[in-house]
Amino acid sequence: MYIEPLVEPPPAELHRDPPAPPVIEVAHLHKAYGRTIAVDDVSLTVHSGEIFGILGRNGAGKTTTVECITGLRAADRGEISVLGLDPRRDRHELHERVGVQLQESAVPELMRVREAVELYASFYRHPADPRELIANLGLEDAQRTYFKHLSGGQKQRLSIVLALIGQPEIAVLDELTTGLDPEARRDTWRLIEGVRARGVTIVLVTHLMEEAERLCDRVALIDHGRVIALDRPAALVDATGTARLEDAFFALTDETTHADTNGVTR
Amino acid sequence: MSAAAISLSPRQRRAFGLLLAGEIKIAIRRPVGLVVAVGVPLVLLLIFGSIPSTTRPESALGGISFFNLYVPTLLVFVLIAVGLGPMPSQLAAYRQQGVLRRMSTTPVSPSWLLGAELTLSLIMAAVAITILLGVGAFAFDLALPNTVGGWLVSLLTLVLTAAATLGLGLCVAARAKSPQIAGAMQGVLFYPLAFFSGLYVPLTAIHSQLISDIAKVLPTGAGFNALHAAFGGQSPGVKPLVVLAAWAVGTGVIAARIFSWE
Repeated sequence: MYIEPLVEPPPAELHRDPPAPPVIEVAHLHKAYGRTIAVDDVSLTVHSGEIFGILGRNGAGKTTTVECITGLRAADRGEISVLGLDPRRDRHELHERVGVQLQESAVPELMRVREAVELYASFYRHPADPRELIANLGLEDAQRTYFKHLSGGQKQRLSIVLALIGQPEIAVLDELTTGLDPEARRDTWRLIEGVRARGVTIVLVTHLMEEAERLCDRVALIDHGRVIALDRPAALVDATGTARLEDAFFALTDETTHADTNGVTR
Repeated sequence: MSAAAISLSPRQRRAFGLLLAGEIKIAIRRPVGLVVAVGVPLVLLLIFGSIPSTTRPESALGGISFFNLYVPTLLVFVLIAVGLGPMPSQLAAYRQQGVLRRMSTTPVSPSWLLGAELTLSLIMAAVAITILLGVGAFAFDLALPNTVGGWLVSLLTLVLTAAATLGLGLCVAARAKSPQIAGAMQGVLFYPLAFFSGLYVPLTAIHSQLISDIAKVLPTGAGFNALHAAFGGQSPGVKPLVVLAAWAVGTGVIAARIFSWE
C-alpha cells in the first residue's frame, strides 16, 4: 500500500522559537471516577502548529485527559482553555473547531464510507470537500464499502477523515495506530505529518514510543495521572543519558515509582 | 419534537435529513425489524382473512367475526413490534460499537440519532398500519370505522399507543449495553404485552375478569379496547386513552432520566 504524501513535511526547525501562540492550556487538571483517580494533576500547553504527544502506559490517564480537553467529560478540578474556549461551556463551538478521533468509536456497520463522510460533513459549519478528503486519504476505492468490511488501516484512515472533515484548527487523535501492521502504521504517520503541514495542530495520544519519537515536536509523559516530563523527545533522551525515547521513558517512570515508595510524591 | 424541528436552522435540518436517510438505508439493508413489524402482521392478516370461518360473525365473540376482532390486535402488534424492536436494538448496537461516542465529538449531539430512530419508527408504523387497513378493507371486507369521529378516535388511539410502546422501547434503549441485552429485555416485555392485545387468543373468549382488568391498565390492552370500540362504531370512553397517555408520559420520563449516551 502506498499513499502519496499530501505535502512535504516542513523542516524540523519550523516549530522552534519564537514559540507559536498557545492553543490548548491545561492547568492542574484533576479527575476521579468514584475512588479511582484517573488524572491526578496534569498541566500542559500546546502551541499552534505543533504535533504534541501525550504518552504513557495504558491506564496512565491519557484518554481521560483528552476527554476533558475536548469537553466530553467535566474535570473535577483545574483550568482548561482550548482556542480560548471553555470545553464544557462552549462545547458546541469547540466541536466545530476541534476534530476528535477517539478509541472505541465507530460509524454504523452498514453505512458506506462515502455516506459516513457526507453525513459528518453536514454536521459542520465549514466542512471540507468530502470527495477530496476521501481521495487524499487513499479511500477512493473503498467509497462504497460498508464500514464493517473495511480493513483496520482503512477504518483508521476513515476516522482521520472524519476528524478532519470539519476543517478543524486542532485534531486530537487517540491511539491512532494501535492494532495496525507496521506498514499501515508508517503510512498513517506520513498522513499525520501531511495534516500538520496544512497548519492543523495535532494532539497525538499514544503508548508507542517509536511513534512519538518519529512524529512529535514535544511530548508530555504521563504516569499515574501526573505529567512527569514535558519536552522535545530528543531533549528527554539527552537528559536521561539514554539512546531512545523508550529508554528515557523507563528511566523517568522508574524514578517516579521509586520516589513513590519513599513517599516523596503525593 | 415538531417544535424542535421548527427551530432548526437550514443546515441543521439538512444534517437531520441525512441522518434520517442513513437510518432508513440501514433499516432496509438489514430488514429484520421491517420483516417483524410489517411482514408478520401482514402474513397473519392474509392467513386469517383467507379462512372462511374466521370472517363469519360468531356469537361467542359478541356477534362479530374473528377477523374483525383480530385486526385491531394486529394494529397493536405492529406498534409493539415497532416500539420494542428496531429502535432499541439499533441504539444498543450504536452504544456498544461507539457510534454514539463518535457523534458526541461533533457539533451534532448523539440525541439526534435517537430523534432519527424515533422518526423512522413512526414512518414504519404508519406504513405497516396503512398496508394492513388497505389490504383488509379491499381484499377481505374489513369493517372500518364508519364515522369521522370513529376515525379520529382510532387515529388518536394509534398515536397514543405508539407513544406508549416507543416509551417502553426507549426505556430498553436507555441502558442496554448490547443488542443481545436489548433483545432479552424486548422478549420479556413483548410476549406478555402481545398476549393482552389478544394476539394468541381473543381476550373476550377467555371470560376472566382478572385478565380483562389487567388488560385495561396495560398499553396493549387499553389500545386494543379503544380500537375495537372505535372500529365497531362505539365510543371507547376516556379511560383507555388516559391509560395510554399515562404510559407514554411515564416511560418517556423514566427513559429521559436513565438514558446513557456511552
